[in-house]
Amino acid sequence: MTGAGATAEEAGETDQQVLQRRSAAIIAGIEAIDPDHVLHLASSTLKIVLSHFIDGPGARPGRRVFAMPREEEGVSIAAGLELAGARPVLIFQDNGIGNLLTALLTLSQAYHLPLLAVVSRRGGLGEYNSMIHTISERAEALLDAAGVRWFQLDARTPVGRWAAEIERAWAFSRATHRPVFVLVNLMGS
Amino acid sequence: MADLDRADVLRLIDAAAPDSPVVLGLGGIAREMLAVAGRKGNHFISLDAMGQTVSVALGIALGLEPPGLEPLGLEHRAAPGKVIAIEGDGSLLMGLSVLSTVGHLKPANLVVYILDNGVYLATGGQPTASADIDLVTVATACSWRGAREVRTADELAAATAWSLTTEGPVLVRVRTTTAQLPADYFLEDPAILAEDFRRWLRAQSPQKEP
Repeated sequence: MTGAGATAEEAGETDQQVLQRRSAAIIAGIEAIDPDHVLHLASSTLKIVLSHFIDGPGARPGRRVFAMPREEEGVSIAAGLELAGARPVLIFQDNGIGNLLTALLTLSQAYHLPLLAVVSRRGGLGEYNSMIHTISERAEALLDAAGVRWFQLDARTPVGRWAAEIERAWAFSRATHRPVFVLVNLMGS
Repeated sequence: MADLDRADVLRLIDAAAPDSPVVLGLGGIAREMLAVAGRKGNHFISLDAMGQTVSVALGIALGLEPPGLEPLGLEHRAAPGKVIAIEGDGSLLMGLSVLSTVGHLKPANLVVYILDNGVYLATGGQPTASADIDLVTVATACSWRGAREVRTADELAAATAWSLTTEGPVLVRVRTTTAQLPADYFLEDPAILAEDFRRWLRAQSPQKEP
């Protein structure tokens, strides 16, 4: 199957090839940040990215990689890490945004603590889970309503720019002292 | 039956660890600590993030113990030593999953006190589920290195000395009364609270530049 909404450099590639190329770009962007803590939550679309950090080359000495059982717990652990001068990155998917809003707004946002979350998009074209659209299609609206700054990486941005954009989002979270979400579409749209 | 008032417990913890990073749970814990100890740089005060106190303390503990240092033991770590979370039973039960994360990561520098009065005292005393929960067993089942339950001043003093000197993570459940100190609402700007704490922390570890 060909990636329907792929960028020009992905033209003619299969969905799997698009997934691999975009996953590699996300990994490169996160590695450029050089986080010392990577907190993650299960995601089938992020499988390649998560594998890199859990048991691949990204699982290196000097870096803690661990699962957060719930997104809001990850937000709060990241708040503590930021207070202590560490460099955490959170990786999860957008249907968990609803779980984290209260912690995000009463902690990170209110206390002016930077946080970078790389959040995979679900729902929409290419989605196989019939239950996930209802929350995932509202991800941007939820973040807008919460006043959380987000950037989107999808077919409108050349994959070659993704890593640099993720790195810029990290810098933006430092400059604004606020949480920043990078919404990444790995499903070809 | 508990004979400890929350304010007395807070006073004792502050006296035992006057220079440790302390994360204070929201509501009565934060307000009564302010009443008995005043505003202190080493206290990170949660104004509203219910259920998140232990998670924030876990993050601080991990951040102060860079990956790779874990096997070295407490005596090799730089100041400021133990990170203390003081949490209520109702708030803990809102984010109970963090006990599993702590047990998995095993930060040696984390101490958690649960001040358990069995109710949501700040909102009028509605009961929590804690009466039927054996938190010591829960913590040890989650692979914490130690956990104790105390009900008297003598037990608390002994547990506090133990918690500050033994390898963490350790949990101390303190059964308290529902007595409250008269304390005003605390309405400081949270951005200032964070920056004050960060500056204090930075001053304790000058080699680390957040």
